[in-house]
Order: sequence, then C-alpha cells, then structure tokens
Amino acid sequence: MAFEFGGMPQFEAATCAHRSTSKALVKHNAGADVDEDEQQFTGPVPMFSLPRTDNPSEFLHQYSDANPDSKVKIQFAHGTTTLGFKFQHGVIIAVDSRASAGSYIASQTVKKVIEINPYLLGTMAGGAADCSYWERVLAKECRLFELRNGERISVAAASKILANIVYHYRGMGLSMGTMICGWDKKGPGLFYVDSDGTRLTNNLFSVGSGSTYAYGVLDAGYRWDLSVEEAHELARRAIYHATFRDAYSGGHINLYHMKETGWERILNMQDVGPLHYEYEAMKEQSMATTAD
Amino acid sequence: MDFLIALVGKDFVLTAADSASARSIMRMKSDMDKMIPLSSHALMLLAGPVGDCSNFGDYIQANLKLQALTNGFEASTHATANYVRKNIADALRSRGAYQVNSLIAGVDEQDGPSLYYLDYLGTMVKVPYGAHGYGSFFTFATLDHHYREGMSLEEATDVLKKCFLEIKTRFLMNLDSFKVRVVDADGIREVEVAQP
Amino acid sequence: MSIMEYNGSAVVAMTGKECVAIAADRRLGAQAQTVSTDFQKVFQMGPKLFVGLPGLGTDAITVSQRLKFRLNMYTLREERDIEPKTMINLVSSFLYERRFGPYFVEPVVAGLDSKNQPYVASTDLIGCPMETSDFVVGGTSSEQLYGMCESLYKPDMAPDDLFETISQALMNAVDRDCLAGWGAIVHIIEKDKITTRELKARMD
Repeated sequence: MAFEFGGMPQFEAATCAHRSTSKALVKHNAGADVDEDEQQFTGPVPMFSLPRTDNPSEFLHQYSDANPDSKVKIQFAHGTTTLGFKFQHGVIIAVDSRASAGSYIASQTVKKVIEINPYLLGTMAGGAADCSYWERVLAKECRLFELRNGERISVAAASKILANIVYHYRGMGLSMGTMICGWDKKGPGLFYVDSDGTRLTNNLFSVGSGSTYAYGVLDAGYRWDLSVEEAHELARRAIYHATFRDAYSGGHINLYHMKETGWERILNMQDVGPLHYEYEAMKEQSMATTAD
Repeated sequence: MDFLIALVGKDFVLTAADSASARSIMRMKSDMDKMIPLSSHALMLLAGPVGDCSNFGDYIQANLKLQALTNGFEASTHATANYVRKNIADALRSRGAYQVNSLIAGVDEQDGPSLYYLDYLGTMVKVPYGAHGYGSFFTFATLDHHYREGMSLEEATDVLKKCFLEIKTRFLMNLDSFKVRVVDADGIREVEVAQP
Repeated sequence: MSIMEYNGSAVVAMTGKECVAIAADRRLGAQAQTVSTDFQKVFQMGPKLFVGLPGLGTDAITVSQRLKFRLNMYTLREERDIEPKTMINLVSSFLYERRFGPYFVEPVVAGLDSKNQPYVASTDLIGCPMETSDFVVGGTSSEQLYGMCESLYKPDMAPDDLFETISQALMNAVDRDCLAGWGAIVHIIEKDKITTRELKARMD
C-alpha cells in the first residue's frame, strides 16, 4: 500500500497541462521569500510543482496516510526510535533501523543517520523521503557555506537552515522529526528540528514512536560525566528497550560518536535479535550473584 | 491520564496508583484512591472514567464478598481475575462497556503472589509486572531493565521509585503523589514511599 | 485501525505424514505497545486436537472458554472424543450464532482424526469453514504466512521435518510483521505423543 505511488505523477501531469491558464499553478522556491542576508545560507533549492488546486495541502491530505480511506499512502517509515545526547566526551547518536508500511515491516536495515559531512549528522524519524531529501539539501547548503566563508558552519546555523526550510512548507504535509548533531567552535552541538518548525537545543533528545521507552532508560542513566564506554552502552540499551516494547521499532542499532575530530561510527548495524538474549543472560547472571 | 503500576516480588505484590483525579483541564482531587480490595488478599487497581471505575469496582467487590460468604472461602487470585474479566467481557457485548483498565494483585496459598493485567475489552494476561495509562510508556523500559524475579520488598520499592522519577521528569501531566500498597501473606497494607 | 489488528497475532497449522503441527506467536500488544510476550493463542481441545485463535485477545479467551464448554457437553453426550471434522463444524456454527456481532477471531483447527489421519481447517470470524490438505493460517501475519507456507511446504513430511518447516514459516513470517512475534510456540501432534516446543525468536 505504501508503495503505491500511482497517485503522484498526476501532480505533474495536471500542472503541466494547465501551465498557461492556471492561476493556481505555483512554482515553489524555498529560498525565494528569504531576505538578502539569509539568501547566502539558503541558496537555490529545486522547485516543486504544486497540485493545481487552491489548497495544495488539502489536496495532498487525501493521498497521505493521515486519511484512512486513501489507498495511496505516501508516507513511509513512521515508527522509529532515535536518540541523541551530549556529554563530556562529545555527542552520541543512536537509532534503530526498521521501516514499516502499515504493520508490514518493509525493511530491517534502513540507515536512519544521515552523514551530512564529517562534522555533522542528522537523524531520521517520520517520512523517510522528507528526511532524506531535506537533509541532503542541508548537506549542500553546509558545503556552500564552507566554500563561501572558508570555515565550517556551526551546528546552530545548520539546524536553523533546516528549520527555516521546513517552516516554509508548514501545513503542506511534510513529516519529519530530526536531530542535527555536530561539533563546532562552541564544542558539541545537538538540535531537535521537526516539520512543525520547532527547533530546540538540549543535552538529551529522543524522537519517534519508541522515544518514550528510550527516555525511560536514558533519563535514569544519563550524566554529563559519563565515560565513553558508559555512554555507548546507555545509548545501545535505550534503543534496545525501545525495540522490545515498541512494535514499530526494531532491526539493528547504529551508533555514532561525535568528537572534536568529527564523527566516528561505533556500532555498524548491530542486530537486536541476539542482543536481547545477551541482556537476558546478563539479567540471569545478576540474579545468580544476588542469590549467593 | 490515570497511571497504575504493579510488580510481583518474592512473596508479595507491590502496587501503586497516582492519586490525581482530573476533569478536563482541572484537578478535582489530589488524594484519590484508585485501589479497591476484592478480598483480604486481593487488590484491584482501576483506571478510567471515575463513574465506571467506582461502579464497577463496588459491584465486583460486593459480589466477591457475597460469594465468599456463600462458599465459606475467598476466591483465589486467578479465580478473582477471571471473574472480573468475565464481567468486563460480558458488559462489552451487552448494555455498554465499562471503560476500565485494571491490574489485579493478590497472594494465595496455591500460587503465591500473582498479578493480572486486564484492559477494558476483557483481555487478560498474567504478568510479572504491568502498567496502565500514559505512564506505562515511560515506565515499561525501566521495568524491563530493572525487574528481577524474586525481588525483596526493598529492591522492588527501588524499582518503583525509578518509575516515579521517570514519570515526574518526562510526563507532561504533573503526577507527583502516588498511593503505594503491598499485598502479601498478611493481607493488604499501605506503605510510605518517598515521593520524588 | 482494524480491531483484528489491535493485539497482533499469527497462527499456522500444517499437515505431515501421520502427524500435524500448529504454531503461534506469543505477543499480546495494545496497538504499538507490547504488553506481554507470554500470551496463549493455541488451546488443546482433545488428546489429539488443538484450536488456534488469532485475532482480538479478549475474544480469543472468551471463544476458547465457550468452545471448551460446548466440547465438554459434546464429549459427555457422545462418550467419545470429538473428530476434528466435527470440531470445525462446532466452531463454525458457534461463530455464526454471532453473525451480527461477531467474535473477532479466525479459528485454526489442527488434529489427528480417529484413524490418525492429519486434519487442518480454519474459519473466518463469522464461521465460514475452509478445509485444506496442506496448511491454514490466520492473524495479522497471514499474508506473510501464506508466502512462507507456499514456498516451504512439502506433502507427507515426517514429524521432525514438519517441526522445522512450520517453525521456519512462522518465524520468518512474523519477522516481517510489526504486530506479531516476540517468541513462538509449536505443537507437533502424532498418534501416540504431543511435542510442545518454545522457539527462541527475535524480540523486536
């Protein structure tokens, strides 16, 4: 059902056929309304043709998964668990790898961390296409910034570019909940950006359907002065517990550590299948020791 | 918004429920008791609309008392839970459902301590630990992480405290007072647990 | 969201050579939240007869209890064990009684008849029976189960081969379903013994 993209091409057909007559035809440019100063941050973004109706978002709504009657569901990968936290040795980012279409597991090996550049990472939750597309656009913007200014973009500025872009499309049905993490002059940076235009910074975030479970583990175990090993284990455990309780999270764990020297990949697609039994064995061992 | 939680220990069941009673955006009461004893050694925790909870709770309590009187003995925890389940399931397909989610904790000679998770549809399952309400989203991971079979009351209380703390830090609604009770061979008693 | 998908379930039954198998997952969920990984969906209804009840959890319990009651009445009256063929008719007429307010379960029956011939059958939620000679499936993973069974099934398998086949079919089916899994249980029914095994499965 999620793979039925059949409804989409008609946007193109409709807009092209009525190009000359329709007043409702709008070619959209994310950077168009931004003032001169900001223009350099948000350079030309590809143009999107919009459906030839007065209210594009309403038109789109009938084909999105928000409408239960629609046979065409253009959203994908709704359930997710992602987390990120700052601590004395940098930033940790960890994610699961399940993509679901309804209750069907479409993939167990999705990469939900986008490597924007060696000093920036973005996580994906919500619409897979929205996240991957706009974070790719962000990657381009960050590179352009570097070329123009001869220095790396700050995490704050990078996340602001993304927030500005998605805010421009508010109400049009974009669906993304992302964390932008990196290292800049100020040290480690972590921002939460979502498609409502929310942009927040904090030491600790978790996003997605499994986030409440991940928070349960994170809040109890989080400290600023965590050691590197402790931090890796905390993140891994938080994702594991989320995959256990949340039906829409699972598959593998990917874990990144952002340091002053850039990000490093710590866990590369660790399967949570065997991990559950490792943790069970640890539990039984601790029970045996307390019984003694 | 109600939050119920319970866990089975070595020879007891530790239970807790928040004590807020909310109506729309208001808190009507801060010392609400969401637990009702069904026998000397069985306790039911109820979540849902206050009317449904109190009516259903009283009805079950009275009937089980009547049964105990006529039979000359109190029903086991398993029998009690099954009786509650049947009432919920029957109501669902007749007059109108009781919108009550519940946990039934009890201790008896045959099974020792046991805990049953029931929802408003009449789904019933025996669990080592369980939780109802939005609070369950924040506490299940904590329970999965720290729960051990055959814990002492002290250990179980520590796990419960971790759950309270998580609710306090992450849940939007200010749930800050909980009633905590223990069911063991001596019956049902309230225990003081330092609130976070 | 469909009421049949509220709790999540997967049940499959398969015939072999003078043996039959039935397997189910263990999850009980409340939509996305996994509540228990120890929920019974398969019920023994006779010495060589099992019924699996995928669907809504509460109705699985209710139906199992009411079927057991009717079965006891039957056994008392007839003074013999029920034939699997009769069991599916009992299930069917029981469910059709609730034609306009159904129990949300899709029963799966598996057993050996009095001549020790394997028998599997299933009904929909209002009691339309379906007998097959190979396998029947039910629950949220039924599409995945059909795919697995169609490709793995061979006629006349020996008990240990049947166990391997039904286990692989179930485990790989639920690994493509968000709502089912979290462990599995398999019963192999032979003329003189029943073997029950719990499978070590993915818990996500």
